[in-house]
Amino acid sequence: MACLHNHSCEEHDCSSEWSLYKHIDIPHVSALNESVTGSVKSVFKSWEHRLDNSSEFLESNDGDPELIVFIPFTSDVKIKSISVVGGTGGTSPSRMRAFINRDSIDFSDAQEITPVQEWELAENVQGELEYQTKYSRFQGVANLTLHFPENFGAETTQIYYIGLRGEASQIKRDTVANIVYEAMPNPSEHKLPAETGGTSQVL
Amino acid sequence: MVLEATMICIDNSEWMRNGDYSPTRFQAQAEAINLICGAKTQSNPENTVGIMTTAGKGVRVLVTPTSDFGKILASMHGLEVGGEMNLTSSVQIAQLALKHRQNKKQQQRIIMFTGSPVKSDKKILEVIGKKLKKNNVALDIVDFGEDDDGKSEKLDALLASVNSNENSHIVHVPAGPNVLTDVLISSAIFTGDGEAGSGFAAAAAASAAVAAAAAAGGAGSFDFGVDPNLDPELALALRVSMEEERARQEAAARRAAEEATAKAANEGDEQGASSHDVAMEEMTTGTMVETAQRGPDPMEDEAALLEQALAMSMSSSETSQSAPAMEADTTMAEAKPEDQLQDLAFALEMLKQTPGKSSGPTDMSKVLGDQNFVSSVLSSLPGVDPNDPSVKDLLASLKGNEEEKEKGPEKPKEGEE
Repeated sequence: MACLHNHSCEEHDCSSEWSLYKHIDIPHVSALNESVTGSVKSVFKSWEHRLDNSSEFLESNDGDPELIVFIPFTSDVKIKSISVVGGTGGTSPSRMRAFINRDSIDFSDAQEITPVQEWELAENVQGELEYQTKYSRFQGVANLTLHFPENFGAETTQIYYIGLRGEASQIKRDTVANIVYEAMPNPSEHKLPAETGGTSQVL
Repeated sequence: MVLEATMICIDNSEWMRNGDYSPTRFQAQAEAINLICGAKTQSNPENTVGIMTTAGKGVRVLVTPTSDFGKILASMHGLEVGGEMNLTSSVQIAQLALKHRQNKKQQQRIIMFTGSPVKSDKKILEVIGKKLKKNNVALDIVDFGEDDDGKSEKLDALLASVNSNENSHIVHVPAGPNVLTDVLISSAIFTGDGEAGSGFAAAAAASAAVAAAAAAGGAGSFDFGVDPNLDPELALALRVSMEEERARQEAAARRAAEEATAKAANEGDEQGASSHDVAMEEMTTGTMVETAQRGPDPMEDEAALLEQALAMSMSSSETSQSAPAMEADTTMAEAKPEDQLQDLAFALEMLKQTPGKSSGPTDMSKVLGDQNFVSSVLSSLPGVDPNDPSVKDLLASLKGNEEEKEKGPEKPKEGEE
């Protein structure tokens, strides 16, 4: 379902609506089949910069238009709609499939597993098209995986911008941030405050 | 410290029986694999390594990626050599094994040992490479053994199609005197691990050098084949243990000589004897003071044993000596056996705590009591550092002993009788 964005942006503040990019855990964003490692991070920016084609963009490897983009969030979000700006000359993706809360989907998984939702995309060079989600299915999203299986006929697929609209809750998923291994218990590191002082317990 | 899951593909095809890498290609490969496993697990404790065969009974996964080093080593035992390597399906199966790794955060890597000829087309290899790159799997290739039919070009093409941002490497190891493990250690496959990997590689290089030196009988320009700069503790430990071993053997030799000379206690030339004796004494710190068994032995055997002992002590001090000192040692070695026996008798008497067997304990204690004399003698000896703690301890103990002797010279004699 596409929705045309044919009003000027002074009436409502588009950039604040498309602000879910602020809740993306950018360092852990990854993509499969990208030609330049790490270029996927450049795709998430504010609404005003969605048409900036000068700097980096996400491009697939030569001769292979498939792309998988893995987007982890810093807290659980609800996604209302998605906007994708592709390149010209047939490099825009033509289909998009979304998976929720799955770590490390690769291409064979993406083919087999049924996506949460699938869209037919149109060429969206101006960034005016947005694709609404089935909102009930996109509640409590910790990470989002987007699979672009085809494009409009070019050798590679180019994506300049991916925008997400929705709400972010403050609920954070449990992540083990820092693991410290102890090869041998060191009583001095496990001191409990004792009355007389000096006694320690290894927990 | 990259978090990585690695699958190692062993080539156990018929071509691995060849002996152009010592001892056989297969053994060299097994050692290299052990080293790689060690390096991976050392660089990051959460790394996992798996093993699979590419030939033999077929492409099989022996161990799924695990961090248990022992399990990996055990799986390499009893591997049969035979059949032909199937490169394409082993890459696919390795990829599958990596896909089902337990920790999805690990990077995926395949290390492929190719010792036999590569039958697949270049095109097919490129397609495989692209698929690996698409799924973000790195590939390291060890090209050794057979080299024909454009094998190197094919493998280079495969690497080019896999390589994304320099994460994949290839090493060509030509046949010859190179040890496969040594070549690998210095290659990107090890150094690509970063700091920890290179530390492991340095330690592995040192231990490999020791093994090589032991096998080749002390080849190399370093003492005991270990670079003191690289691993000073190991070099020191080796040196100390060598000296102890020599001391033990000399003690055994001296015990044999003592039997004949203990009866005829003769105090020979003090000057020459004391310097020689103190040298032997210093070597045997803490190992002597046993009474030898009585038993007549022919003088010729003792002389031969003495020559041996002296030769060993000469060779030990060779490595750290200057030229003039060496000449002094050789002149000592050339002394007549009879004089040496007398010297030895003197040494024994000095060493023994119980003065009962000799006739002149007080003379000796006077000699030893003159600490300045002893230390001057010691410092003039080649290879003996007066500041060496063991020498200092010895001097202190001698001083203490002779004080005890002075307090009660009569008592031990009575106890003896």
